[in-house]
Amino acid sequence: MLESDPSRDFSKHEDPSIAVPCSYIPLPDGPHTRELASARRMPPKRAIFKVFSGVLILALVFAIIIGGRNSDVHANGNALLATSTSSMASEPLRPVSRGVSAGVSEKANHVFSGVEVASFPWNNTMLSWQRTAYHFQPEKNWMNDPNGPMFYKGWYHFFYQYNPHGPVWGDIVWGHAASKDLIHWLHLPLAMVPDQWYDLNGVWTGSATLLPDGRIIMLYTGSTNESVQVQNLAYPANLSDPLLVNWDKYSGNPVLRPPPGIDSKDFRDPTTAWYTSDGKWNIAIGSKVNKTGITLIYHTEDFKSYELLDGLLHAVPGTGMWECVDFYPVSKTSGKGLDTSANGPEVKHVFKTSLDNDKNDYYAIGTYDEKSGRWVPDNPKIGIELRYDYGIFYASKSFYDLHKGRRVLWGWIHESDSEIADVKKGWASVQSIPRTVLLDTKTGTNLLQWPVEEVDNLRLTSREFERVEVKAGSVVPLDIDAATQLDIFAEFELDKEALEMTAQTNVEFSCSTSGGAAERGALGPFGLLVLADDSLSEQTPVYFFIAKGIDGNLKTFFCADQTRSSEATDVNKQIYGSSVPVLKDEKLSVRLLVDHSIVEIFAQGGRTCITSRVYPTKAIYGAARLFLFNNATEATVTSSLKIWQMNSAFIRPFQPGQDA
Amino acid sequence: MKLLLLIFIVQAVLQTIYLPASQGAVQPVAVRLIERTCKQTPLYNVCVSILKSDSRSSKADVTRLALIMVDALKAKATGTMNYIKTLLRGNLKGDVRRGLSSCADLYNAVLEADVPVAIEALQKGDPKFAEQAANDAGIEAKSCESSFSGYSPLTKSNKSLQDVSAVAAAIVKLLL
Repeated sequence: MLESDPSRDFSKHEDPSIAVPCSYIPLPDGPHTRELASARRMPPKRAIFKVFSGVLILALVFAIIIGGRNSDVHANGNALLATSTSSMASEPLRPVSRGVSAGVSEKANHVFSGVEVASFPWNNTMLSWQRTAYHFQPEKNWMNDPNGPMFYKGWYHFFYQYNPHGPVWGDIVWGHAASKDLIHWLHLPLAMVPDQWYDLNGVWTGSATLLPDGRIIMLYTGSTNESVQVQNLAYPANLSDPLLVNWDKYSGNPVLRPPPGIDSKDFRDPTTAWYTSDGKWNIAIGSKVNKTGITLIYHTEDFKSYELLDGLLHAVPGTGMWECVDFYPVSKTSGKGLDTSANGPEVKHVFKTSLDNDKNDYYAIGTYDEKSGRWVPDNPKIGIELRYDYGIFYASKSFYDLHKGRRVLWGWIHESDSEIADVKKGWASVQSIPRTVLLDTKTGTNLLQWPVEEVDNLRLTSREFERVEVKAGSVVPLDIDAATQLDIFAEFELDKEALEMTAQTNVEFSCSTSGGAAERGALGPFGLLVLADDSLSEQTPVYFFIAKGIDGNLKTFFCADQTRSSEATDVNKQIYGSSVPVLKDEKLSVRLLVDHSIVEIFAQGGRTCITSRVYPTKAIYGAARLFLFNNATEATVTSSLKIWQMNSAFIRPFQPGQDA
Repeated sequence: MKLLLLIFIVQAVLQTIYLPASQGAVQPVAVRLIERTCKQTPLYNVCVSILKSDSRSSKADVTRLALIMVDALKAKATGTMNYIKTLLRGNLKGDVRRGLSSCADLYNAVLEADVPVAIEALQKGDPKFAEQAANDAGIEAKSCESSFSGYSPLTKSNKSLQDVSAVAAAIVKLLL
């Protein structure tokens, strides 16, 4: 039997009546005068006065004693007023429009609300399985944003936000790795650490600009010793070192401080610079004013002194702080990437931002008029709408790969398990496989992302399955050896009769609010079950769901369902996804990169992408399986697939003798 | 009579000076900020009582109010951790002991990971990590409660921590 609950001790401190001691007596005609009067026998008036004053003196003594304890109370009312209006100006609004994307909700791990959560007894076997074989991650500890990606003297360089001390965010430095092919990475020494007053509280995100004369400019955000966000300039200590191991910081740092009207904590993540015909370099920096996310543009010629331009590159009310903004051209015609400074009639410009308050990356396509410095979105009614990825994908950053003439995109993929599991396993976060980015010339209204072709070099053995029929309500096992490191390409067709017969509906489908793969419709869901075990007690369905709209037109949705991905209850169990454009005569197709605890999924050639973290307890190692499934009520689905086993990328520290 | 009147007047004047101090913590402007901030959290009363009883809230902006709430979270977690350790020294049934050991791990994660991350993120100016850390603290407390198959000696503590986590996360969200 327990004697006392210490929370009762806590409640004493919480009790509001004690927080506001009220031991003085109110002035004349208080209740005490009535009580006391009846207890005494002295002449009434004198007695009243004597007792009254005595009590008042006691009260005064109390007031002095207690007032003395709370002596540091005299606030500067004006200062409070100023800060309070700026931070409380408006109710947080939802972003202006998200189209019909059925993506992740705003809260970080909202799925835990109302659900019984128990800490799963993760053991080392389960946890060590979670490490990826061919995705970039440091050997241990925490990672977040990709920084300064570039190609130089035969090597791809990748930097990243890293905590050298533990598997949670903090003490951030710049990690560094290099690779010949964007896949086989070699860890190098830390590039930058917080050793100056202007980055003492954080060497944060930044971007590289490669100048025509061969110099490399690295602009990055520093959190100063007073936690002011400033922009700093750094450059390689030795340009003839292809591995760019050592970096110098400009002695005149910081080169940019928050301008008037911008809060000292709302000024970070400078972009790669682009050159305009007025002979100036331009950079963009995200910020906010009240709850309106904005992007500032600066002009510079030497990257040491800057001029803030009058207009904003873009702004959307109600979206909060804009982090890691990115701005780059895409070609309307060629299937190639463009240098960041490219422009012309055959060029559209993509503006992208990471939204601090909802942890997703959004982009919009528009036209950039460099003369006026204005960028206008193709769809001005929607502020910022499309997502790069409907799963976990944040703080993404692109660069122009001049080696192969393509625009390549990196995205930070955080964990979606519990933090205690991260502490147990000693690491947190991976990066996406770098993706090429192109304008989808068939639709004109979205981008296409696709894993860089070098990932294909990891393919080992393959198995092909031709026209496997999956009847309504059935599951078909796919006989492959292992199922934890795979590259899968699958196409699906539905029988024509079912498509014609299916009744209309007037309810708009949404992946995240649906019942997942278990919710049967006439024309879906159907797709693959990855990281499943034989008994299907654990499974991660990746699927299409076709709905017929009121107008009789078919609309296709593409989802990844985590609700049964693991028996553990302390992992994220959301359903990710969105609608995906499917053009006439196109087959439904999907590519999956399965790599232990990460699955990257690309539908319709990369029109809709979903990255998911999966933490099975049973469907691991040799027990993991792959299935086709069709949970539709009416349609039969036919699928053809090619499945490759994927090799490890052997990501490891650079060894001078071996590697160069 | 005149003496009594004099005493009365003197002490009335002195009380007017000391009255705000004796009330405890906050000036009217600060109170408005606290109330407006707390209205945007799921547990107004929990929020207000914690903030108003901390004298630092009178000079605070929203970031500092968030830090005060994280401090309260830390205090609760520390107290519960100490209580768990005390209980574990006693004679316990197997399933209660197992539950408490689990909780010790979970509360350790709150104190070693969540709280420091939240404080650093708020102080250095990347508050989204503080939101995640605050949410995670609540999840750990919830997991702790689920670790007991029968009776839980920590129900009140766990609930209290979940409440403060929810409030802390909501305050941080105002900064994003």
